[in-house]
Amino acid sequence: MQLDTALLAGFLFALAAWLILQPSFVRKLFGFVILSNAANLFVLMVSGDPAGRSAPIMGDGGVPVDPLPQALILTAIVIGFGVTAYLVMLLYRLFLDTGATVEGDGEDDGREGGER
Amino acid sequence: MSLELVILLSVFLPLVAAGPVAWMGRGLGARAAWVALPFPVIAFLALAWAAAALGGGAGPAVGWPWVPTLGVELKFLVDGLSVFFGLIVSGVGALVVIYSAFYLDGHYAHHGRFYAYLLLFMASMLGAVLADNLLALFVFWEMTGIASFLLIGFLHGEEGSRRGARMALLVTAGTGLAMLAGIILIGQIAGTASLRELLAGGGLAGRPMAGAAMALLLLGAFGKSAQFPFHFWLPNAMAAPTPVSAYLHSATMVKLGVYLVARVFPLFNEHAAWSVLVGTVAFATLIVGSVLALLSNELKAILAFSTVSQLGLLIGYYGLGPSGGVSYDYLHILNHVCYKGALFMVAGAIYHATHLKDVRELGGLWRRSRWLGVVTAVACAAMLGMPGTTGFLSKELMFKEIFVSPRAHGPLGILAVVAVVGSTLIKVAFSIRIFQGVFLGRESEAVARGWRGLPWMMLLPPTILAAGLVVLGVAPELLAAAMHWLNVPGLHAPDAPVLHLWHGVTAELLASIAVVASGLALWWWGRVTGWRWARIPAAFRWDEGFDAAVDRFGGWCGRVTRLSGAESPRLWLGVVIGAVVLAVCLGAPWAGEAEGLVRRIAAGAAAQDWDALRVGVAAIVALGAIGAAVLRSWPAQLISLSTSGFISTLYFALYHAPDLALTQILVETVTLVLVLYLLARFPRSAQEGEDGGAGRAFGRWWRLGVAAAFGTMMAVVGLVMTSAPHADPVGPWYVAHTVPLAEGANAVNTILVDFRALDTLGEISVLVVAMLGCLGLLMRRRGPGGDGGVVVEAVGVQAGGPESMILVMVARLVFFVLNAFAIYLLWRGHNAPGGGFIAGLVSAISLVMLSLALGWEELHRVLRFDPGRLAVWGLAVAALPAAAPMVLGRPMLEQYMWSLAIWPIGKLHVGTPLVFDVGVFLVVVGIASKMLFVLGKSTCGFRALVGEEEARYASPADEPIERARPGGGGGA
Repeated sequence: MQLDTALLAGFLFALAAWLILQPSFVRKLFGFVILSNAANLFVLMVSGDPAGRSAPIMGDGGVPVDPLPQALILTAIVIGFGVTAYLVMLLYRLFLDTGATVEGDGEDDGREGGER
Repeated sequence: MSLELVILLSVFLPLVAAGPVAWMGRGLGARAAWVALPFPVIAFLALAWAAAALGGGAGPAVGWPWVPTLGVELKFLVDGLSVFFGLIVSGVGALVVIYSAFYLDGHYAHHGRFYAYLLLFMASMLGAVLADNLLALFVFWEMTGIASFLLIGFLHGEEGSRRGARMALLVTAGTGLAMLAGIILIGQIAGTASLRELLAGGGLAGRPMAGAAMALLLLGAFGKSAQFPFHFWLPNAMAAPTPVSAYLHSATMVKLGVYLVARVFPLFNEHAAWSVLVGTVAFATLIVGSVLALLSNELKAILAFSTVSQLGLLIGYYGLGPSGGVSYDYLHILNHVCYKGALFMVAGAIYHATHLKDVRELGGLWRRSRWLGVVTAVACAAMLGMPGTTGFLSKELMFKEIFVSPRAHGPLGILAVVAVVGSTLIKVAFSIRIFQGVFLGRESEAVARGWRGLPWMMLLPPTILAAGLVVLGVAPELLAAAMHWLNVPGLHAPDAPVLHLWHGVTAELLASIAVVASGLALWWWGRVTGWRWARIPAAFRWDEGFDAAVDRFGGWCGRVTRLSGAESPRLWLGVVIGAVVLAVCLGAPWAGEAEGLVRRIAAGAAAQDWDALRVGVAAIVALGAIGAAVLRSWPAQLISLSTSGFISTLYFALYHAPDLALTQILVETVTLVLVLYLLARFPRSAQEGEDGGAGRAFGRWWRLGVAAAFGTMMAVVGLVMTSAPHADPVGPWYVAHTVPLAEGANAVNTILVDFRALDTLGEISVLVVAMLGCLGLLMRRRGPGGDGGVVVEAVGVQAGGPESMILVMVARLVFFVLNAFAIYLLWRGHNAPGGGFIAGLVSAISLVMLSLALGWEELHRVLRFDPGRLAVWGLAVAALPAAAPMVLGRPMLEQYMWSLAIWPIGKLHVGTPLVFDVGVFLVVVGIASKMLFVLGKSTCGFRALVGEEEARYASPADEPIERARPGGGGGA
């Protein structure tokens, strides 16, 4: 059991949720970045206690840790970057179009669903 | 030639050819038509061969296995009916392509696209009429709707085109869904969806639920064939270029409903509701359509409403058909295809030559083009049923059969007689009106002013159709023989149809004379009154009502959205997160034994061997994250956040995950730069205004509560998951097999590029999609304001050129060193920490560093490629080792390894996984640097437009990059 990792991941999850629920776009963005980190740590924790093990590279000797969660996290980190970048662009575009940096702020451009 | 080949040539060849035609047509302009022409011609010849080989009978179903394990086959039914419709579709298709070559002249753009849509339509149409499986028929059916949408909206700059396209799609696709329900019901009733098996099994009329299936199926047919009350979409579809109207909306697509009714006639015609349903709707359409045609003044509108009414006639003919089968449906359909196609082409030619649409503005064209006049005269004569044309035969035989229908069908028969006689009378009136109004009389001033002449080749296709009307009208025995040859048992009466030029003085001949005389009188009255009353009353403008309803629907959805507060993500995110917490707490299998759980965790905590280093690292990570949440200025928050991210690298290292540590540190770097660019744009004032604890007290506590519950839940779930190890984890398998199977020592890398390479392929595709999304967000807005691109004034973040020579020199040097390192990482990734993702990030960082050192203008001079394109190419490279084995008949992504002895390095292991990893590398370099470049340039005041950027790369040195505001902004 890795109590330290569980506590860290849980704490980061809570912090991320707290940030995302705030109106400020920048805080939402930070919350999202922390959320990705928390999720990665969570999956890492599931890979088991690393004590007395070695990296999943053959030939290093010892019992290697489970490589599968690591492969999952590696892709998750990169995908997380892609999503963060998209979020950044989205906030930027939102700012350019409406001047908003806070949820519920900025001028309403009066668009409705019916507009083509 | 086999029938399979016929299907390939007629359905699949044009389908495949559509893409290349669109591509080749880009540079060809109006000549793109000649690239597209071979495909309908080939389809026509192939189907003609199939028709010649047919000779009656049920017709074979040919095809290929599709999902053999499920017994699903892609089959096509080649019988008289499908071949008859197929010949019409491909034959008229060829004529329309020739016609379009002259109609769509240099004034139009995107010719290649137009012909691609046309081919797509033709292929779907042929697929629909030839399909054996009803579900395949449905797929092709909806494809024709999509092609029609694209063609109606081809001139999408015009409001009318967009509205017409939307209306046609909504009506035909909506009713198509009803048809799908009917098809599924038939499948349930009969146990098969194969038309061949259904037809062989006899009628369905006696089965339970057959009535519902029939009604749903007919709904689809009525929508597609613009039957009342769906008639309103067809005239609006006339916003399409006229060749499209001639092809889709008179000759082919709208006949799909007729085809379907004919197809299911043997299945349902003995059902009590068949003739009532089909007959009532069809004959009501016949009356409504012809009255609206009489009240219209635009040439194309008259023809469109006349088409609506004739479709009613064709469908109604099946509605009243005797159970033994009908006899003359081919005659009626062919007659309508020829005269209506010709008339639409004539209308298009007139528009092409004069830019006039309204009959009232035209006149005296006879002197301008006799040829056009003769073609019109023949087509109009066929429309009103003059002897010597097929129209005469069609009308006489229709009268003959309809006059006996009151005896068989009672009131419905009387409705049919009234509708047929009345509509024929009206048809006579507007046929004469068209010819007289357009060609005779004095030449109007508008014509004299605007006449531009006609290319003779443009008149060829309508002439061919008109010639068909006359030839078959004079020698009907030919037609009778062909009809008998294409006879379909069940649908058609077994006796050979009898057609003669002259049937003698019969009751129907006398009736026709009376009808034509009355029609002439009606026309004369219209002429005398100057057609002043010819205006469609508002109560019949159902299209406007439909459009208004669709528009209001959007507004209504907007109101619901606002009412539900869905525009406030904060509110709903809290609800979603709270719901997840609740669901996990209540629904997890261990929810009932909370006590045991607590004991288990407590026992684990007691036995916990606290690793001081790990706890310390965790504390720093947590502190950094707290800083990001509570600090008051953005830069401080960002630095704190990045610290947390960088330190978590150590945490990965402590978990023996070197690959993760490398990836994390690189991604953290790139993210830092990206967010910095964003924050540089946001105004300082916004930062001061926001407050971590802003909002009402309730909001604060709610937020805190949700966050705490979520964090606690995740921690507990994690502890539960780790306290009881999985009985059979999959990880050790990878560890054991990474060397023997994947020939790589780094198990993480072999999972990524070998064992689970398909997942990785999906992942890098997602990355490319994310990049395209980002580019889309920063692209120019096309609004009423025109040039409203995302161009902002510079804020002075390093907008200029290089500042220091030393920096530039060092940056260039480091650039090469970093990239050499990246290639090394890529190469060794299979056996040691590294690989495509990590190497790609290193390389992207080197590019970002170069951009920071050189400035954008200099960077463009140095960098000769577009990183975005690099990413797309990378995807292609990664797909190569995935697809190549499939070509050789092996499973996808199967790996191949080669040992190469290269002096002096020694023996090298090279394999397809390395190629795959190179693809990953290219994608990551491409997307990471592209996103940073685009955002960086945009925030620094340069145009961040994709197209322009490409142009810069093409000619980097000539001109400086355009600034939004030269010299705008100040120092950083």
